[in-house]
Amino acid sequence: MATEVYREPFERRTKTVRYLKFLEGLADTQIGPIYLGMWGALAFFSYLLCVFITLIGWGEQVGWNPIRFLRELPVLTLYPPPPSYGLQIAPLREGGYWQLATLFLTLTLVFWTIRIWTRATANRLRPMVPIAFSAALFLYAAIYIIHPIWMNSWNEAPGHGLAAILLWTNHFSVKYGNFYYNPFHMVSIFGLLGSTLLLAMHGATILATLAYNSHREVDEIESSDEGTHRAQLLWRWVMGFNATAHSIHVWALGFATLTAVAGAIGVLTSGPFEPNWYLWGCRAGITPGIQASCPPVP
Amino acid sequence: MSVHEGAPPGAVAKYDELQRSILRGELVGLVAGTIMALGAVIAISLALTDVRNEFGLRADFAYNYAGVQQVDFVKYLARQGKQPAQPSAEALQAYSEWVAKNPKTVNVQVLNKYLGEKYNETANVFTYMAAYFTPGVGQSCEYCHNLQNFAAYEKPQKTVAKAMLIMQFELQKKWVNTIPRPEGQPLYHIKCATCHNGQAKFWNTSLKASNPELFGIAGGGNPTPYDMRNVGITLNGVTPSSYEVVDDQYLAARQDADGNINFYQVTANKDTPAGLNATYRNQYAMYHQNTALGVGCDFCHYGGYFKSYVTADGTFKWPKTQARHMQAMMQDIAINWFPQMPSVENPNQLQNYYAQPNCYMCHRGYVVPPGAYSFNEPFVPGVVSDIKPLVDLPLLKPILPNQ
Repeated sequence: MATEVYREPFERRTKTVRYLKFLEGLADTQIGPIYLGMWGALAFFSYLLCVFITLIGWGEQVGWNPIRFLRELPVLTLYPPPPSYGLQIAPLREGGYWQLATLFLTLTLVFWTIRIWTRATANRLRPMVPIAFSAALFLYAAIYIIHPIWMNSWNEAPGHGLAAILLWTNHFSVKYGNFYYNPFHMVSIFGLLGSTLLLAMHGATILATLAYNSHREVDEIESSDEGTHRAQLLWRWVMGFNATAHSIHVWALGFATLTAVAGAIGVLTSGPFEPNWYLWGCRAGITPGIQASCPPVP
Repeated sequence: MSVHEGAPPGAVAKYDELQRSILRGELVGLVAGTIMALGAVIAISLALTDVRNEFGLRADFAYNYAGVQQVDFVKYLARQGKQPAQPSAEALQAYSEWVAKNPKTVNVQVLNKYLGEKYNETANVFTYMAAYFTPGVGQSCEYCHNLQNFAAYEKPQKTVAKAMLIMQFELQKKWVNTIPRPEGQPLYHIKCATCHNGQAKFWNTSLKASNPELFGIAGGGNPTPYDMRNVGITLNGVTPSSYEVVDDQYLAARQDADGNINFYQVTANKDTPAGLNATYRNQYAMYHQNTALGVGCDFCHYGGYFKSYVTADGTFKWPKTQARHMQAMMQDIAINWFPQMPSVENPNQLQNYYAQPNCYMCHRGYVVPPGAYSFNEPFVPGVVSDIKPLVDLPLLKPILPNQ
């Protein structure tokens, strides 16, 4: 089979490779080899602790009743400590569980980033993937750690739970005026919509060239009159210009990291630098209508 | 050089064809799946609409010219399979004998003081009682009265009803009549039905325990699924203290020295305490008002800036200033009136099992409570009898449109 021709060099390196034939339509069916290593092990056990602590907190809240646990799972939440604790260590049931879970969740993400970095360099790759992951890590740190520390209260951070993160999103926006008027939020949304657009354009383009063997990327790029050339012609016809096989990925990475980084800056500026984004919008003159809802200018 | 060099003959073509067939299948599946999902969404929506109509969950209200929903109390009861109560035949017989003997009232103390001399006539008192008390609390005359002597205070229910009636008029006088409202908006009156909705006992803690969805956390707390307590979030039976819920003993709407309800002002400024708990509480109180009045946020708020009383184009949000006024009334009920209501079991003792008032208590999912009445009789203010408010709560300084 041609598939085996592809994988031969990898197979020579390891004996742990498995194939999941039933997933052929979804992805490459090769499973493994997986590398654990010190950072992987640390990330794994740290995450295990985070999940364990979260489950203990949730379990206590439902009195260890599995039926109640399932029924209330969407709203079960480990809450951060109340404002009265500030940044102190709180008793377990008054936010201590949240503090521990958050500590181990943070460690997990840091270990995981290091793990990607070490694997990327070990494979002689540029560390673009860990850099991209760090953008998400920065947003996480801004929301869960840096902003609460600046505001002197862990209570500013989201709880751990399914509904909790949605509630936090709403309440954080309400507390700081209206997040839609936060310019960094605007840029973040721009990045989010832009990256989904780019992803859709890129994915559709690659799928469109399937008849020209785009699933065999290396071959296909090397031959003339093949998929890549036709795809690039398509976008020149449509837009007047086209990305290259290299630049499209730079664009995608740029937009995706912009989403997280701008979002993080938006969170960090809320509070210490701008307590009310609606009023900022009034001052900046970006509120709609005749601005009757803005306070009068002194 | 191709990486496929050395592949068995025909293998590459076979692999290509496999990939293409998968893609064709995916595309067909994607289109078919999208159509089916859209169809399912439409079908489920239609089915739910039918279910809502079937069980009367849709409000059949009319809008008056001020844009306020009005719900017919009789229809509201009918939707719950109930009819407004009528005086029993026995009671009517007893009344006809009583009115023949006593055309002037014997011992009426409240109605005549608040509504005028007209209620020194027994027949007028009966008309009021039959129109408002009987359907309001769902009981015939004998629930409170000794049919042989309507003037007697033999039954504790009558003592309670008298205290409730005084509360009704005092609340009307202090809060409802003073509600800031646009020109032309009708003024409704509190009657028994406004809170009781055809049930004599409806708002005590034992009922609350069995019907948490109706009560929620009192005093601007939360009814319905949004209430963290109602969904059972507790730590060893105790609500987690890190979520500082509104306690039943206290009301969410607290006035500061200037008479402002600062509790609901969560937008950050330099005086806002750190942490989001105040925002959580505020939002749950808001969800309570959503469900209690059956309205969305923009009924009261300008969506761009919830703190504002005017929209971007300058439209004044009357419901917001009215809701604020009503929250103060709720506070008054909780602080001044419920704690001094006599017990039905023993009128010499105070009730100790009432649940705190909240928006749903009267509104029942509508902007105008189904049991609120348009009442056109003149109102004689200022004569209070047996019970007085414990604390003289100041009226809120109304927030009105800029002239």
